[in-house]
Amino acid sequence: MIPSKHHQSMRKNPSAIFLALLLLFTGYSCTTSYQTSALQYKSYRISDAQQKDSSLLKFLQPYGEKVNSTMNEVVGVAAISMDKAQPECTLGNMMVDAFLAMAAEKYNTKVDGALVNFGGIRLTQLPKGNITTGKIFELMPFDNLLLLQKMKGSVLQQVLDLAAAKGGWPLAGITMQIRDKKAVNIKVGGLPLDPDATYTIANSDFIANGGDNADMLRTIPQITNGYLMRDAIIEYIRKQKAAGKEISSTIENRVTNAE
Amino acid sequence: MSAGAVLAGPTLLEAAEYISPYRLTILHTNDTHSRLEPFPMDGGRNQGLGGIAGRSALIQKIRAEEEQVLLLDAGDIFQGTPYFNIYKGEPEIKAMTAMQYDACTIGNHDFDAGMENLATQLTLHANFPMLVANYDFTGTAMEHKTQPYKVFKKGRLKIGVFGVSIEGRGLIPDTLFGATKYLDPVQKANETADQLKRLENCDMVICLSHLGNKYTDGKVSDEVLAKESSDIDLIIGGHTHTFLDDPLKYTNKNGNDVIVNQVGFAGIILGRLDFEFSKFSGKKLVKNHNLSVSQKSAG
Repeated sequence: MIPSKHHQSMRKNPSAIFLALLLLFTGYSCTTSYQTSALQYKSYRISDAQQKDSSLLKFLQPYGEKVNSTMNEVVGVAAISMDKAQPECTLGNMMVDAFLAMAAEKYNTKVDGALVNFGGIRLTQLPKGNITTGKIFELMPFDNLLLLQKMKGSVLQQVLDLAAAKGGWPLAGITMQIRDKKAVNIKVGGLPLDPDATYTIANSDFIANGGDNADMLRTIPQITNGYLMRDAIIEYIRKQKAAGKEISSTIENRVTNAE
Repeated sequence: MSAGAVLAGPTLLEAAEYISPYRLTILHTNDTHSRLEPFPMDGGRNQGLGGIAGRSALIQKIRAEEEQVLLLDAGDIFQGTPYFNIYKGEPEIKAMTAMQYDACTIGNHDFDAGMENLATQLTLHANFPMLVANYDFTGTAMEHKTQPYKVFKKGRLKIGVFGVSIEGRGLIPDTLFGATKYLDPVQKANETADQLKRLENCDMVICLSHLGNKYTDGKVSDEVLAKESSDIDLIIGGHTHTFLDDPLKYTNKNGNDVIVNQVGFAGIILGRLDFEFSKFSGKKLVKNHNLSVSQKSAG
């Protein structure tokens, strides 16, 4: 059906009628198709202020009650907002500090360094103020294990090269610079990396199993007791709270871009 | 005078639209990551943003205003809030069904609670298909739980939608990816798009991609796929959590425009793309095909 207002506008334009008839004719005689000709776009920000679908609020309520009853415990307090960024960030430093401390405690051994892949930080920001269990589930939602691997300095170099190529990963106990997507000026415990020495590194089972292209770690034996990375962060924060401390971290030039 | 009248009159394209002003509204999300509730009011930069109840109300409003709507998601529905740790994706899939999603593709995190869990959640709670053309799930719990593409009839329009996803090795733990075979996404995308245009006679081909927007190391991405494609009109992307201010426009192998869009993560943004279609006659695909793109001013 042709809407009448279009009819009128075509009457004013004889050429339109001609072209329309031509199109109709050819349209019936050959294959008629459509193709995209114009695009208008818009991004809607979903904000708390706008209208909500009450049926979905009702649907979510019973799920939410259980989630909130188990996830609202305050485990500690963040003195500052900590952010996710590369090559180094406050949020990542807090996490690997927790991994280094808790791995040493849970495996009762000296741990030389700890790392996490940048993509393993699942919040872009841990806001200042109370930290709930739920927040740490969001920061580290995966049931990743905190495990140890003993590796030669030459293998650690490869791991850190990978971290450099990917823009920098959070490190504890280790410092480095990134030059041409390689790790340079690496220090472990303040001393230059020795390719022949053996280092004990705390890491996730995800990376240890070759995740994020860490293929060099696939063959390195894993020391594990089933302790989760998420539990390590929660326990670390709880300990700080028990000691009357708030959680904080700073950029310490652990990972910097050379030049 | 008469020459002036002809110039002022409608072009061939406008004349076609007098006969058939056809429009399709595409609404899309990606990487919603179990963000069922808005981000909590904790002073964080995303506080109060997102949430299925707000998204659903907005979708309903747009559906009431527009005749032809497709609602699509580009994967990573799962993982990111404790809802997933406790319920393994059930409320996420149920909510998408309630919002009447038309299709989604699979993201790497949709494997996080295992393929059997994903298969169960889809079987029990989804009334929309999960589309992926470059994963071979033969011999896994996900076998027969996905399909490569689906054709949607929207009025007189035929819209082909298919999915491609990212390489599992090095990203998805081997224990979760199991015996899934990852196939070349560019090759499978081109095969599927060709099939949709030529065999299924689709007027538009949409790719739901969980490849990622673009990479500096040449790894396959939406950018690479767009440039190496022939028959894709639109790529709705995900994985890299990219907030695009404006959709990206690339030129494909035939010199035609391909649109790529992605809307960040966590359901903070609902993307809207209103396509206008022109009717033409004769052989499909030989027409030079360039798109006028502009920001929607109201609505």
